[in-house]
Amino acid sequence: MIPFDMVEPASLQEAVSLLDPQEPTIRPVAGGTALMLMMKSGVFQPTRLVCLHRIEPEHARITLVADGALRIGAMATLRQVEKDADVAARLPVLKRAMRTLSNVRVRNVARVGGALAHGDPHMDLPPVLAALGARVAIAGPKQSREMPLEDLYAGYYETVLEKNELITAVMVPALDGRKAAYMKVTSRTADDWPSLGVAVSFAMKNGTISDPVVVVSAATAKVTRMKTAEAALNNAAPDDASLRRAGDAAAEEAEVLSDAHGSAPYKRELLRVYLRRAVRQALDGSAE
Amino acid sequence: MMTTARTIAFTLNGQQVSTMIEPHRNLVELLQRFDLFGSRESCGQGLCGCCTVLVDDVAVSGCLYFAVWVDGKSVTTVEHLDADGTLSPVQQAFIEAGAFQCGYCTPGFILMSHQLLKEHPNPSDDDIRHYLSGNLCRCGAYPEIIEAVKLAAKR
Repeated sequence: MIPFDMVEPASLQEAVSLLDPQEPTIRPVAGGTALMLMMKSGVFQPTRLVCLHRIEPEHARITLVADGALRIGAMATLRQVEKDADVAARLPVLKRAMRTLSNVRVRNVARVGGALAHGDPHMDLPPVLAALGARVAIAGPKQSREMPLEDLYAGYYETVLEKNELITAVMVPALDGRKAAYMKVTSRTADDWPSLGVAVSFAMKNGTISDPVVVVSAATAKVTRMKTAEAALNNAAPDDASLRRAGDAAAEEAEVLSDAHGSAPYKRELLRVYLRRAVRQALDGSAE
Repeated sequence: MMTTARTIAFTLNGQQVSTMIEPHRNLVELLQRFDLFGSRESCGQGLCGCCTVLVDDVAVSGCLYFAVWVDGKSVTTVEHLDADGTLSPVQQAFIEAGAFQCGYCTPGFILMSHQLLKEHPNPSDDDIRHYLSGNLCRCGAYPEIIEAVKLAAKR
């Protein structure tokens, strides 16, 4: 890596003040596992990194809030999420996603906030949390704001965050009986960056799917909701014909990109199939 | 550009040490300055596990960890496992099971296996495969490695 300056502020406020809204070579770093890959390959050459690991420890906490929602501090490691008892009991889909999210060492170091802010469409947390209806809390120099996670992404490695804004937490509502699943397809090893990620959540009412959310990642430039697939599932019985219609709708709707993990036609076919599998997995709770 | 080296102090394999290091150096490079070569940068992307180091008893990829971040922390490398003159049960098991060929990946596998056994004292095959999925052995000694972990678990 080329030389750069590093600062290690002791508070969130100080960290925000050390960022520069006009300067893309000054960036915050949480766990650094993703950013260092960009730096090693020369894609990103910082002049200054603002390390967040010494900010107030409260930003690394996972707390159960009043209505059964979980508030996950942005500096919580992925491993904390994986091992958290409330996550295991209330959001098993999130715990399950961790198992094949990179490996133990990366999960020990990578932080939730970094995984959300990086904007890499291949990451697993954004689609899972978006399907669960999560919202992100964002701190800036003047004010804080909050938005649905799915609105955070503007494009390939692009978010709507200002360069001097930081994600402080993600709020995940209680499942409240909703079914959820996340499936990913990797073309090399099980813990590789995926060719496709697909996350679903929905309620079941009198044997039909209600209020479905379908989110696609990795195959697309950004985490994207599949509205036509959602429409195909809504009020439908989860039978083969409706799942097929939903899979076809998603494959038609998604703007799929070719990359090292697969060609666009291949990924489109994966989406057609894995959307059906994800709904089935959400229904029967099976692990694979 | 301001890229000044800074002084960091940390515990390295039980000894208090301090050194000057620049912010752009990673943990593997730091350890090399102390003549510790068990942690090797191989893939450089956190995928292969050859650079495994324990920081405050948590396994990290040394190649994806800023050296300055160990300031005030405790760092343990594979070289510390036989500090008392005897091999650790995991090291002994790897030898008995023949769980390596060229040995390049072995320090990483050994450290990760230690962590694995701390979390899963009686690991299933599935536990072992998942926990060690981020460690690659290009000689393909995986069956023997799984045997070695099970052997070490019995001790």
